[in-house]
Amino acid sequence: MKFIKKIAALQDHRIMWILLFLIALALEQVAYQIFQKWLYMRPCEQCVYIRFSMVCLMIAGVIGAINAKSIVLKVIAYIIAIYGTVKGIGFSLKLIKIGEAFRSGDPFGVQGCSSTPSFPFGLPLHEWFPSTFLPTGDCGVDYPIVPEDAVLSSTQKYLVDLYKDGWYLIPSKHFMNMEQSTLLAFSTILLAILMFLVCWIIVEVKKKGQPKQEKEA
Amino acid sequence: MKTSRARKGFLALALALVFAFPVFTLSAHAAAKEGTDYMVLAKPIPNMDKTVIKVFSYDCPFCYKYDKSVTPAVVGQLSKDGIKYTVWHLKTKGKYGPQASELFAALITKDEKAKLGLFDDKSSFKKAKMVYYNAYHDKKERWGDGKDPAAFMKTGLAAAGISEADFQKLLKEPATQARLKAWEGAYEIAKIQGVPGFIVKGKYLLYTKSIKSIDGMAATIMELMAK
Repeated sequence: MKFIKKIAALQDHRIMWILLFLIALALEQVAYQIFQKWLYMRPCEQCVYIRFSMVCLMIAGVIGAINAKSIVLKVIAYIIAIYGTVKGIGFSLKLIKIGEAFRSGDPFGVQGCSSTPSFPFGLPLHEWFPSTFLPTGDCGVDYPIVPEDAVLSSTQKYLVDLYKDGWYLIPSKHFMNMEQSTLLAFSTILLAILMFLVCWIIVEVKKKGQPKQEKEA
Repeated sequence: MKTSRARKGFLALALALVFAFPVFTLSAHAAAKEGTDYMVLAKPIPNMDKTVIKVFSYDCPFCYKYDKSVTPAVVGQLSKDGIKYTVWHLKTKGKYGPQASELFAALITKDEKAKLGLFDDKSSFKKAKMVYYNAYHDKKERWGDGKDPAAFMKTGLAAAGISEADFQKLLKEPATQARLKAWEGAYEIAKIQGVPGFIVKGKYLLYTKSIKSIDGMAATIMELMAK
């Protein structure tokens, strides 16, 4: 019980929600600033949906951080965070399936990616923020495509060569591709969120039950 | 009170069975299911009764995969039953979508004059298409990412073995212009589920993700043709 209370106490602090915001922001920015803009890896349709999921986590983080003691705000934050991670897991799984079909000779069972995305709730994110949300790549194609007139620094050249077979967590070993990595990230975040939520519910229920028990006694 | 509730319950069960029965028998007979294997287009394409249309783009990895190993085999099977096959290039996808559409439309006009089919090895359309696929998807060629249309055209013209002047002549022909006009409809189809998209009788769009094999695809098309 002590452990549960400790965990529940953590999510009563703003810092946990700020942390959620920062993790999602960091993942998104690394994808956009480093891999897309600096190393010329182009986002595919599923990839921009994965970014949408990250934005959900950022929004959840901000809402939770407004007042981490407010039950209403926190319930909203939890709902958005769980929605975002569940969606993110779905997008990652779909990209895993497409990626496998793309890399193998067997094209069956999947639909390739579209260059006109349709975001949840019909949000025209690709029109509002095309640099981040407009897919310019194809699913499965996540190696750098350097424009002919680009002048690369030595670091850039080294990294572009390193990722020439596509994005991997450890490129030299081809260990964990992009979609497997985002699946791992979303799953871990979802587990953590559910753990916080369950501990919070247990503590709240106990709190509500406490006075009654005293009266009965 | 109790009996009437029981009677209502029984009635509901009986009704459910009656309505479910035809659904079960239908699905047992028909292999292709609307909503799973295909959808009915809201706006059918006229005069396509015995035809399969493929909507594609040079900038589409799965179009390449289908053209390498699936479409020629399926079309070969279907042609024995007198089913025609035609292609629509999607000009809205890829940096050089409009240029590719013009070139492909012109080359098909040239092939038609020479009585060459779309999958004929001598077809200049096929030659140009495969060279673009190969350059784009295998060699990562991007022709200046939209800044150098001339370089893009050069690749295709060289593959087809025609000059820029020949191309301009073919482009002006009524057959080419009519083809380009028909291809304007490609976007409406592509935006439903992306490319490649296969349309049977101008009416039924196959869900690409439900295509599981060459024989299965041919069987689904035959079934829809018979509808």
